[in-house]
Amino acid sequence: MTEPGRDVTATVNGVSVSRHVPNRMILADFLRFELGLTGTKVSCELQVCGVCSVLVDGKPVSSCTYLAVDVDGKEVTTVEGLATEAGLHPLQTAFVENFALQCGFCTPGFLMMAKALLDENPHPTKEEIVHHLEGNICRCTGYRPIVEAVLAAAEGGQDPVEAARHG
Amino acid sequence: MLPPFELERPTSVAELVAIINDDALPYCGGTELLLAMKMGLLRPRTLVDVKSVAALSGVRLEGGRIVIGASTSHAAVAASDIVARHLPLLKRVENGVGNARVRAQGSIGGNLCFAEPRSDITTVLAALDATVTLMSSRGTRQVDVADFLLGAYWVDREPDELLTEISIPITEEQVAGHGAYLKLQTSERPTVGVVALRRPNGIRVGIGAVSEKPLIVDLEHADGIDYDSMVDSLEPVADLAGSVLYKKHVATVYVERALGALRELVS
Repeated sequence: MTEPGRDVTATVNGVSVSRHVPNRMILADFLRFELGLTGTKVSCELQVCGVCSVLVDGKPVSSCTYLAVDVDGKEVTTVEGLATEAGLHPLQTAFVENFALQCGFCTPGFLMMAKALLDENPHPTKEEIVHHLEGNICRCTGYRPIVEAVLAAAEGGQDPVEAARHG
Repeated sequence: MLPPFELERPTSVAELVAIINDDALPYCGGTELLLAMKMGLLRPRTLVDVKSVAALSGVRLEGGRIVIGASTSHAAVAASDIVARHLPLLKRVENGVGNARVRAQGSIGGNLCFAEPRSDITTVLAALDATVTLMSSRGTRQVDVADFLLGAYWVDREPDELLTEISIPITEEQVAGHGAYLKLQTSERPTVGVVALRRPNGIRVGIGAVSEKPLIVDLEHADGIDYDSMVDSLEPVADLAGSVLYKKHVATVYVERALGALRELVS
């Protein structure tokens, strides 16, 4: 029996990609094994830990529990889509400056969740940041520097990627 | 890895209803179905994508009720102006479901059909006298959410029936915001969730997450309540979140706190 699958065309970090993928392939495997975008990590595989968070049409999803066939016609943003030729994304800079990572395994997920928040709510309160990041687990930092980094990025002003897009 | 399956993407409710059966399961956000498949608990031959039918998503007002399409995401319910205006309690509850990704992916209808005993939504909708509409090629029927929930992961839905929408009566008390929901949650699902609602002739309490399905209790007033006897009819399920004794105790504590929170909202 041939593996049931579908053709998928999606825009990933601004680049159009087309593949034939098995129905059962999860988005995380599509990104990592089909596209070589290994910045997205996988840990709990139960959408509890947040490590595999990516954006689909701007909304945060757990790529471990999201079918690759469901990104057909959609825009996907991964951690590789944050930095530009001009340099790091303000969130990435803020994470470095606030020591918001140690081992770094959870960082791509936190960055993508934080981007989803700031795109929708550019000036969140500390409480709103904590509430939004509740579903992400970090075993190194104790969370405080992460929350401070997101606050710092929010105070730092506009997201250059979004600014360039809206021209 | 997920087991292999066929995928159908119907574009109308009629087409969808004609396809589903016990081996062709409705699939929406996948936040619970895909987990059950990963764990080997379910191995359907076909998944039928509910998201491809636009008519099943959205919030509208109809005859003094809020009607929510089954595939509407938790985040979309929380963001709905209609819900904010007529049922602010549901907005707050939806804003606290799971985590931000579950809220973006998961649907309110899927949550009800899966009947995870620790769902926030089942407790609140049962207490609000919500009803669900079930459609099959045999016809359409309405069921109260309180009766729809039969037990843990068990609802009054035949395999060929599709939950199309949820309907909640609009009441003066809920427009005024006289409803509180408090939960104790230390991991991804609550240990106990208690809703307290002002009603025309008293107060309603719904206790969820402790037993296989929520317990609804109507009170004439909030004074002199014997909390211990109230939780007597609970049948707590002991698990990693605590023993039967602990869960009964923590339920009494949260009922008391929820009634206190309601008192503050009303005053």
